[in-house]
Amino acid sequence: MSVLKLFSGEIIRLVKYKILPVGVATTAIWVAILYFLEPREELYLAPMFIFIDVGAMSILLIGASHFLEKQEGTIKSLMVMPVTKREILISKTAASMVLALESAVITAAALYFIHKITLNYALLFLFVIIAGAAHAAIGFVLSLIGRDFTSMLGIMAAYMFIFTIPSIFYSVGLIDEKYKYLMMVSPSHASNELIRAAVSGEYETGLIIAGCVYLILLAAVLFRFAVYPMFKDKAVRG
Amino acid sequence: MSVAFSVQDLRFKYPSAKEDTLKGISFEVKEGEIFGLLGPSGAGKSTTQKILIKLLEDYKGSVKYFGKDLKDLGKSYYEEIGVGFEVPVHFSKLTALENLKFYSGFYKSKADIRELMERVGLWEYRDKKVGEFSKGMKVRLNFVRALLNKPRVLFLDEVTNGLDPKNARIIKDMIAEYRKDGGTVFLSTHLMNDVEQLCDRIAFCVNGSLVEVSTPRELKLKYGKREVKVEYNENGNLSTAVFSLDGIGENEEFVNLLKSKQIETIHSGETSMEEIFIIVTGVELNERTEAV
Repeated sequence: MSVLKLFSGEIIRLVKYKILPVGVATTAIWVAILYFLEPREELYLAPMFIFIDVGAMSILLIGASHFLEKQEGTIKSLMVMPVTKREILISKTAASMVLALESAVITAAALYFIHKITLNYALLFLFVIIAGAAHAAIGFVLSLIGRDFTSMLGIMAAYMFIFTIPSIFYSVGLIDEKYKYLMMVSPSHASNELIRAAVSGEYETGLIIAGCVYLILLAAVLFRFAVYPMFKDKAVRG
Repeated sequence: MSVAFSVQDLRFKYPSAKEDTLKGISFEVKEGEIFGLLGPSGAGKSTTQKILIKLLEDYKGSVKYFGKDLKDLGKSYYEEIGVGFEVPVHFSKLTALENLKFYSGFYKSKADIRELMERVGLWEYRDKKVGEFSKGMKVRLNFVRALLNKPRVLFLDEVTNGLDPKNARIIKDMIAEYRKDGGTVFLSTHLMNDVEQLCDRIAFCVNGSLVEVSTPRELKLKYGKREVKVEYNENGNLSTAVFSLDGIGENEEFVNLLKSKQIETIHSGETSMEEIFIIVTGVELNERTEAV
């Protein structure tokens, strides 16, 4: 019950702080681009747009929200209410997934309404949730390591340099396909692969299962051993 | 009267610190009293409060809340306490009422938000965003937030800091009423006016230890001079005489002075809380900075 109240509070603040409207505006840009593309190109680019919202926007959202709350002292206030730290983290993670799902829903709708392209929606939303949870955990870690939003952006840039850029190189053929399993170590690449599989309907089952298991384990380990203890410590210090 | 908090040999060390911030402090807060914790910067006041409100857990020693070990209490503990932070703790893009409704929604016991806001003069600003509030308005909103769950124990940190005298009076009256209704208050402040007007007992925390736990009256007697200072007019000039309080009724010189001179002022040698603070802590009030 507390989680639902916290979650609803998070969503209200996403709107009031203009974070959700900005997310929708970003997706609207993707839709505008998709409108001018051929169906074959759409199927290539749509997963990348969804991934940007899941993998980058959700990290930014968590960082922005974390540092705003730190500045306003509201995390401290939440800590002295009859809610657990776990409930606070769950509600924040769920709220970050709203942005990812919003992007997936709007992009999927655009594909249908522009070129009548249908997808395996259940699989897409499942993969978006898995990728979103892993990136929410990464977003928390980067935010909790960062001293302020600017330093968090610097750490995020380093993260993307290490994990996201190799995935882009792989996509354009600069990295040989024989490294496809090794590439799954990158959360960005694993997420990208899952979303691409759901949108295109073409996938290697073993690779997709490996990606799902890896991202779920990564999210669980990060939340348990990094996010939770660091959040406790930072929240107390305000 | 039962004991709200019983703290025994409380020790705490921050992971990055070289030595203990709290070095074995012991005190009791009785139910229905206003207990003030005073001390200079870094003395351990905030750390003590953070432990009592369960924000810090890895402490040594024993803290009991109405006889129960604090470590055994879960989130239901927060149904019983209200915490008023010194710094604002509200969502700036939400209105005052939206903030209070959000926080209030988590408690089983709910105070009347309108009544509280009217009392502190914020009801007419309920639909204004907190980001547009003045510092004083935020302080008052913090106080209302602390009372939202009709708490059994109220923790207040510098509760009137930044308020004009009129609003400070309102808040102090509300605290006194809360105590009269059986509430317990743990007050952390550097404003000696608040201490004198509100606290039943006070403790001075210095360098992680408690050096005095007493009532303001007892401290004034202990650190004051047992003397009377008389200022009187003599041939157009202001003169001063000091007499010992002991046997003053039989002191002919004092009695004659009262009879024969035009008295301007009479002051007892009772000391101020500011002076006691300086004597006990060894620190000037204006030397203090932010607490640990």
